[in-house]
Amino acid sequence: MTFRVSRRALLLPWLIAMLSFVMVMSASSQNLSVQPLKIAGTVSSADWEAYRSRFVEDSGRVVDTANGNISHSEGQGYGLLLALAASDRRSFEQIWNFTFTELLIRDDGLAVWKWDPEAKPRVTDRNNATDGDLLIAYALAKAGEFWQEPRYTAAARKLAKAIGKNTFGHSGRSRVLLPGANGFGAGDRPDGPVVNLSYWVFEAFPVMAALAPEYEWNRVWRDGVLLLQQAASGRVRLPADWLSLQSGLQPKPADGFPPEFGYNSLRIPLYLLRAGMTDLEWLRALKQRWSAENEGVAVVNVVTGQAREQLADQGYAMLHAALACALDGTPVPAALRTFELSLYYPSTLYLLAKSLLGEKYPQCVSSAAP
Amino acid sequence: MRLVGSAITTAVLILGFAAIAQQTGPGGSQPPAGPPPSESPPANGSQPQVDESALRYFASQGDTRRVNAEIARLRALYPNWTPPSDLSQLSAGAAAPPDPIIERLWNLYREDRIAEVRAAIAERQASDSNWKPPEELVAALETVEARRRLVNASDSGQWQTVLSVATEAPGLLTCTNVDVLWRVAEAFARTDQPTRTRDVYTYLLTNCANPAERLATLQKALTLLPEQQVADLLQFERRTGDAPDDFGSIRDELARRRVERASLDSKMTASAEDLAAVERLIRNTNEAGPVLILGWYNYHHGNPARALELFKTALDRDGGAKAAEGYAMSLRALERLTEAEAFAYEWRERAPENMKVYLDIATALLSQDPPPRLEARVVARIVPVVTAQRFADAAQALGWYSYNTQQIRTARDWFRTALNWKPEDEPSAYGLALSTQRLNERAAFNAIVAQWRERSQRIADLADAANPRSGRRSAPVQPRAEMEAAPRQAAIEIEQPLVRTEEAVRRRQSEARSVLGRSCAMTRNPAGLSGDAALTRGWCLMEINRPLEAVAAFDRAIATGSGRVREEAAYGKSLAYLRKNLTSEAAVAAAEAPQTRSRQVELGASILTQRALAAYRDKRYVETLLALSERARLVPEQNDLLLIRGWSYFNLGRYKDAERVFRAVQQTGYSEEAGVGLNAIREATDQASP
Repeated sequence: MTFRVSRRALLLPWLIAMLSFVMVMSASSQNLSVQPLKIAGTVSSADWEAYRSRFVEDSGRVVDTANGNISHSEGQGYGLLLALAASDRRSFEQIWNFTFTELLIRDDGLAVWKWDPEAKPRVTDRNNATDGDLLIAYALAKAGEFWQEPRYTAAARKLAKAIGKNTFGHSGRSRVLLPGANGFGAGDRPDGPVVNLSYWVFEAFPVMAALAPEYEWNRVWRDGVLLLQQAASGRVRLPADWLSLQSGLQPKPADGFPPEFGYNSLRIPLYLLRAGMTDLEWLRALKQRWSAENEGVAVVNVVTGQAREQLADQGYAMLHAALACALDGTPVPAALRTFELSLYYPSTLYLLAKSLLGEKYPQCVSSAAP
Repeated sequence: MRLVGSAITTAVLILGFAAIAQQTGPGGSQPPAGPPPSESPPANGSQPQVDESALRYFASQGDTRRVNAEIARLRALYPNWTPPSDLSQLSAGAAAPPDPIIERLWNLYREDRIAEVRAAIAERQASDSNWKPPEELVAALETVEARRRLVNASDSGQWQTVLSVATEAPGLLTCTNVDVLWRVAEAFARTDQPTRTRDVYTYLLTNCANPAERLATLQKALTLLPEQQVADLLQFERRTGDAPDDFGSIRDELARRRVERASLDSKMTASAEDLAAVERLIRNTNEAGPVLILGWYNYHHGNPARALELFKTALDRDGGAKAAEGYAMSLRALERLTEAEAFAYEWRERAPENMKVYLDIATALLSQDPPPRLEARVVARIVPVVTAQRFADAAQALGWYSYNTQQIRTARDWFRTALNWKPEDEPSAYGLALSTQRLNERAAFNAIVAQWRERSQRIADLADAANPRSGRRSAPVQPRAEMEAAPRQAAIEIEQPLVRTEEAVRRRQSEARSVLGRSCAMTRNPAGLSGDAALTRGWCLMEINRPLEAVAAFDRAIATGSGRVREEAAYGKSLAYLRKNLTSEAAVAAAEAPQTRSRQVELGASILTQRALAAYRDKRYVETLLALSERARLVPEQNDLLLIRGWSYFNLGRYKDAERVFRAVQQTGYSEEAGVGLNAIREATDQASP
């Protein structure tokens, strides 16, 4: 087994956590590594400007154009991350201002997840969405470090503590990330706990652990990876977006959700690649499935294996291109090299993938590549 | 630097935020805490008077930094205020040229584009790390952001956030931000700190001058604080000055609530003042609410007649199911049970309470003493409702009603049903025992006795009396006189004796009812009516079963009407008396005007039937036989009355006569009931001659 760590010095708590992680993982044949991303400066100002002018309002609100022009904590988190990637201090501050005054109002310190410009009050669901919280906290932490802005770091720390305090749940002997502070735990619904694997923004965990070391980030992270392997071990080899962990670590599609590998889970490989966790065998299988000769990127029923919807947008194709690049060194096809604006979500995925490729795999996107 | 007097006084000290209390105004000199109310700045409608003198002074000095600082401070205090446009003229010729970005930032700030101000500051700092935004601008931004977060958190019920934001931005807690003060007050209430809520309101009423906001403060207090605390806040009402308060509506609301509480509790009385306030509310609005309150108050304080009027008004004001419930209950309290039943029936499906009231009224209607004579259609509509609702009390009442109208088998079935629905109901068990005994159903009777004799003395007594030899007292054969104590009752189902008569006049009655509509239900003196009108009114009152009032109307018709009218009125009057079982009066009335032969027969037979039944119920058997004989001269004696005759003979010990009658009945088909009589005779004669 190999265990690569970043050349950068690691904080002590992180090192300890990683050691315990290694001990646990020694039972598995899986090799994992974590390489912190720099992020800043990895998205071109032209790409960002196209994104910003379409999806970010002057108020700092990131608009989900496919979803009734609402905003949500996830979108604000992505907006912050991409503004940082474009080194756009101005936009970052703008998006943060909206996030802070409109969403970060919960008593527990987490963000309300849903904001609708047509509703009064604008907050139409005061629950949180843990991936949104993680993305915001992560972007703040990275921005605080990059721009040396203590306001961002302080806000990141506060949010990290709130996440650790309110969203870590138990499933048997594992620690899991609950999708929301309320409504998903073992006592909250008959098939609880229910989780969503795409809420594990893997690259954020070490950063969170440094900000709020009193919570078990590394265990939640590790158990997330184990869960993913379990959930992807069925005949179809794809996890459903929403999983019930009622029967321990044998995840099943949760009640009330379609048993689909859908828009949520599409992000999982991207998050794994961004965290540098390229050794998971599952990524190879997914790359096969997603290749143009096979199924392509699609929403798939995890019970029947049938594809319900083919996803042709550039942002989804880019997910496959990133996998092919990271696993095989395949250059990104020419058609994907230029950013074409579409809806909020695929556009976001595109830029997140392109940011990763620019930082970690420049050879796949360099002009020298065929 | 001059401060705008008490307007800038923050609530921090009073609210216990002292630890972080700071003055938001630049210059930071501490104003005197809590100036007396009279010194508060005059309020000009809802738009506060903004003191711009300092601003103009700085502008005339060309001191841009201070101008901007003052603009920031005034903006924070008065969100709707815009700086005067002529400031640049004042500063013309000033020394230092204004920094263009500062100008732009303030402009954005004035347009409430806060995120863009923040963005521009960040952008400028990115290019020039030594550059710092004016402190005043930063303070102003923080205040606006805090207000937004506080408002958003309060809109989403995040009360802890409201309080923590207020703690971190005490400058928000001023009279210029009354809305913020209200939200903080609510946050205290929602986090179980009502004393703090009261403190905020007290602060507001002591320091803030706008009368509309002061009144609204009390309205908010009404929704969040106990009434006594709201009443305490009334002491801050300003009765003098330019803009005196009028807290009258708050006083009225408190009075309304007190009456409302007393309205449901007969042991609580409301003061005359409070009652007058509610009367005033009733007069000044078209709402049903206060009418209902006063209706219930009267209902529960011994004045159902007034309650009935009020509930009627509430119904007219669309008071709905609740008004209907009160109306029906008042009718019942007034013992106008027939009306109550008819009314409650119409409303029974509207709400569970209405159904409950209907069932209670139906139960009461059936359980009247003496047993009422109900129209068949009334009973017929009660039965399916009772069955559907499985309401044991009404089932039991139907049992007694049937029993008392001599429909013993029906009674037995109802008592059994009632017991099924409510197995521990002793009265139903007693009814079942009585009915089975009367029907001579030994097995059923023994079963019920076996089940209940340990729990019910009267059921045990029933069994012992029925079977003296097994009685606990080893008494010898019961002498006949003692048998009279529990006389054999006729196990006969008697038709309602008036059914035929009522059939004959039903059309007349319902016509009258439809002519007069609801007005016939209104009690009024028939004097002054024409003979025809009085007659119609009489029939109408018969239709809604108010026979005694009908008598008065018929009297009027007899006094003023033509021959035909007088004849019909006399007929109606005797029917009315018959309804009330006043047979003598009925007989007198029948003679008040000449009647057709058929009506003479009909009335006479009815009167005699009632007399016979009444005498029989009172165990006056000789009189029973006399009435029956007289009746038999008018019309043939029907089987049910023959059985009454038989049992009368029996109870008088005239067994031979009784036997003759029972045998006659037996031959015409009433064999079962007749058989019971013949058995009784056999038993009695066996005992008499051992």
